[in-house]
Amino acid sequence: MKNKSSAKTAETRKKRLLSMLEQQGLSIYENLDKGKFPQFVIPSRSVSNIVYDKKIRQYILGSANAVRSSRNMSQLRSYTQLAWLAFFVNRLVREGKSSTLRDIYYSSQAFSIDFEDQPESDNIIVDLEAVLTSPREEFHIFPEERSSVFGDLTIEYTVPGYEGKRMNLSDHPDGYLIGPSLSSAELVDTSAELVIAIEKGGLFTRFVEEKVHKKFKAIIVDTAGQAPRSTRNLLRRLNTEMGLPVVILADGDVYGEHIAMVIKSGSANAAHLRELTVPDAKWLGVWATDIEKYKLPTIPMTESDIKRIYDLQKDPRYQEGNWKKQLEVFLKLKRKAELEAFSKYGLTNITDKYLPAKLEESKSF
Amino acid sequence: METYLSKEVFSQISPSEFFYRNRDLAGFSNPTRSLYTSVREFVENALDACDHRKILPDIHLSIKAVNPEQADPKHYILTVKDNGPGIDPEHIPLAFGTVLYGSKFGLKQARGMFGLGATMAILYGQITTNKPVTVKSCSDGKSLDEFVMLLDIQKNKPVIQKHTTKEGSKTGLTVSIVLEGDYSKAGSKIRDYVYQTSLITPYASITFEDPSGEKFHYARIVKDMPRPPTVIKPHPHGIDVETIRRMITDTHYQIPTIDNKMIDKVKKELSLKKNLSPKEILERAQKRWSDISKPVRTVISVMSFLNIDFEGLQKIRIDDIDVANKTITYWDFGESQSHAVELSPESPYYKQLASTVQGDTLLTFLTKRFQRVGPTTAEKFCEFAKFKPDKRIGSMTNEELVKLADALQKFEEFLAPDPSCLAPLGEEPLSKGIMKFFNPEFAAVWQRNASAYSGFPFVVEMGIAYGGDIPPNGLKVYRFANRIPLLYDEGSDVVLKIVNETEWTRYKIKGDPPLVIVSHICSTRIPYKTVGKENVADRPELERELKNALQYLARKLAVHMSRQGAADMAKKRANLYSKYVPLIAQFATELAGKKKEPNYNQLIRMGSEIEEQV
Repeated sequence: MKNKSSAKTAETRKKRLLSMLEQQGLSIYENLDKGKFPQFVIPSRSVSNIVYDKKIRQYILGSANAVRSSRNMSQLRSYTQLAWLAFFVNRLVREGKSSTLRDIYYSSQAFSIDFEDQPESDNIIVDLEAVLTSPREEFHIFPEERSSVFGDLTIEYTVPGYEGKRMNLSDHPDGYLIGPSLSSAELVDTSAELVIAIEKGGLFTRFVEEKVHKKFKAIIVDTAGQAPRSTRNLLRRLNTEMGLPVVILADGDVYGEHIAMVIKSGSANAAHLRELTVPDAKWLGVWATDIEKYKLPTIPMTESDIKRIYDLQKDPRYQEGNWKKQLEVFLKLKRKAELEAFSKYGLTNITDKYLPAKLEESKSF
Repeated sequence: METYLSKEVFSQISPSEFFYRNRDLAGFSNPTRSLYTSVREFVENALDACDHRKILPDIHLSIKAVNPEQADPKHYILTVKDNGPGIDPEHIPLAFGTVLYGSKFGLKQARGMFGLGATMAILYGQITTNKPVTVKSCSDGKSLDEFVMLLDIQKNKPVIQKHTTKEGSKTGLTVSIVLEGDYSKAGSKIRDYVYQTSLITPYASITFEDPSGEKFHYARIVKDMPRPPTVIKPHPHGIDVETIRRMITDTHYQIPTIDNKMIDKVKKELSLKKNLSPKEILERAQKRWSDISKPVRTVISVMSFLNIDFEGLQKIRIDDIDVANKTITYWDFGESQSHAVELSPESPYYKQLASTVQGDTLLTFLTKRFQRVGPTTAEKFCEFAKFKPDKRIGSMTNEELVKLADALQKFEEFLAPDPSCLAPLGEEPLSKGIMKFFNPEFAAVWQRNASAYSGFPFVVEMGIAYGGDIPPNGLKVYRFANRIPLLYDEGSDVVLKIVNETEWTRYKIKGDPPLVIVSHICSTRIPYKTVGKENVADRPELERELKNALQYLARKLAVHMSRQGAADMAKKRANLYSKYVPLIAQFATELAGKKKEPNYNQLIRMGSEIEEQV
């Protein structure tokens, strides 16, 4: 059993966030009182300001900042929207309430804040993430899509009404939604020695049925395609707080490879955020080279698959090692294989043969 | 086309033939256009008649279907009633029953050119429906004469079907014709025409009753009439060979038109009561020679050579008196053939005819018949053109006439044309009309000083209106020439060209602005591009004047726009800051964990006042 070393991490993060919000509030308040126009300084998210940091192995924002000032009439509206969001997030976090992107868009109307459409409110949420360098999940704002987790992990809720209540995530075979309460929960302890992130819900269920969590002493996470931030955050916490290595299984195509990369080192879209990456995560497969090695049935790549390969070849993270090599092999094969391809050799082939082989292989990356 | 009509043309073809040849040009190409053109001709005649007598016009126009159930094109009764001076009953048959009767040969600004159009409309009506024209006229305020007439196309003479005289009380003229028309297609143009005519004639009251019985009434907006145009002589630069030829034959020295009126005049001057033989007439004339007028002397001279009496004179038409070849040529209606008679130089009447035909000296012709030409200028011109000043204009050959016309164009020492013949509407009435019609948020008008092109004086007046009741459908241009709306062929017009060349964004006008431009060109001769007289050609002098007028008005509009823009912006700022600052304060107060809201009033005030940041 691994016990968490640092106490009450979720609580610390909450306090840090509330303090930042209060600072922003005080600054605006004082400006108004003095007859000065308050403003927000927002790190610029323009393409020219997104750079790849090799040291921390993720995309980050450069030093350019944009100022949103209430003095500028054309920015007054979006300034007010941002101030409102800070105010609303402050309420959410203090009262331990959760919201979704869509819910934020609708909630604004009660405060005479007029968003044209949800993309506009989504953008303001990203602005606030940049101002506070915190992901929206810390603001208790979640996307609609959910992914799941299963395995021997004990958590302790911090959401109101459940404070202190503990729960083991291996009690329910369908797995547990990675939602607001799980995201804000403290990770207490686990017997697992490994986290397996898998791209597809179907295989997640298969893994549970095949008792992969027991056979491999693993916590299984369904990323449901490209992993949502709350999922990436959970993976990171399992890695950093619980000290568990993370491995990733995705489809044998260029998108699968990139799902693994985003878990490992983030996306350009979230360059303003930290703590969403697992730099030591390992991509188990399915590699392009596995397609030949395991004689997997394949389907031909589409035009957009191929275009995607060329795009990724320009990404600094794909310039060396296995990442680079697999892209090249994919491009050579011009064919792809899904995780389900292993079914050709029996439903349990993937858990009985492929997974152990790859885990063994991964020890040497 | 009409400008170049001369007697010669008409002596060779019958008026109905002429009508058929020219119906397209005159605007009678199809039932739609014909109905519209007829409306125009009668309304414009009515307005012109009132203008000349300084009577505030009161015009009633009505179009009624003969059989409303029928489908278009069908027969319509078109009636135009005015409160003008009316026409003496004795002139009515000729005025409405013959082609080419009219008094508009002088040079002044008038809506129509020759008064020909109304006759064309009557003729068109008669040809398409075989119905007579009805004319009611009261010219003395006492008696009202009603004529029902057809036109004898072959003889170019009126056939009066009915003539009644009743008691009348007000002067005025009512003309009613039946014609084939298509109101379903012409209706919108006719309504536009009435609307726009009312705009450019704000001193008129115009009522239009359409075939459905709907009435469009445009009340009088101003009570002052603009100064009426005066008749002036032509400017030498505005003259071509054909006009000179017409001026020469059109003088007092021409061979008089020998009609019933002239015969009456001859009889009167000779105090003749009964019909005499040609010989007796000549004897009588010789006794009174010094007392009788020049035209009568000429008629007597013709009678002497042809040896005919008055009855004979009525049956012929003098075609030519060729002094050089000493022959007189005439057309005998009875025999339908041409005759030539030799002129004996020994006859005492030869000199009379010769001087009549040869006319004035060039010097006298120039000073008498042209504006702003004095004896000094005339002599200088003769020297320039290499003509003897005492050269008789009637003796000029064709080549000499061409040379003369050419020299008149080229001689640069003539004074600029006299604009007194022009009658622009004036800034105040134009402005009042625009205010009443469009109720705009901003309007400006400008009348330019008179200018001239090729010897024709012209004046441009223009108005601009923005916002208010004007719908934001983009720029709308109302074009007028000599107080006539121009509705067709907008695309190729010089005014449109100038408007389209204007960079409106420079004047702070964007998108589809609620903008109206009213352009009025007054000239003794509008340089129409086509005979349809709906679009004005881009003469450089005219283009320059239009451009100047438009730029001046556009600049005024731009000043208004920036004032308006600044006011709008300040208002918008004030609204925005009043709305958002209290919200920001509310959010910040809770965020900062304070109880009391900050004092943000100062910031709202500042927000409203600061200049827009670029």
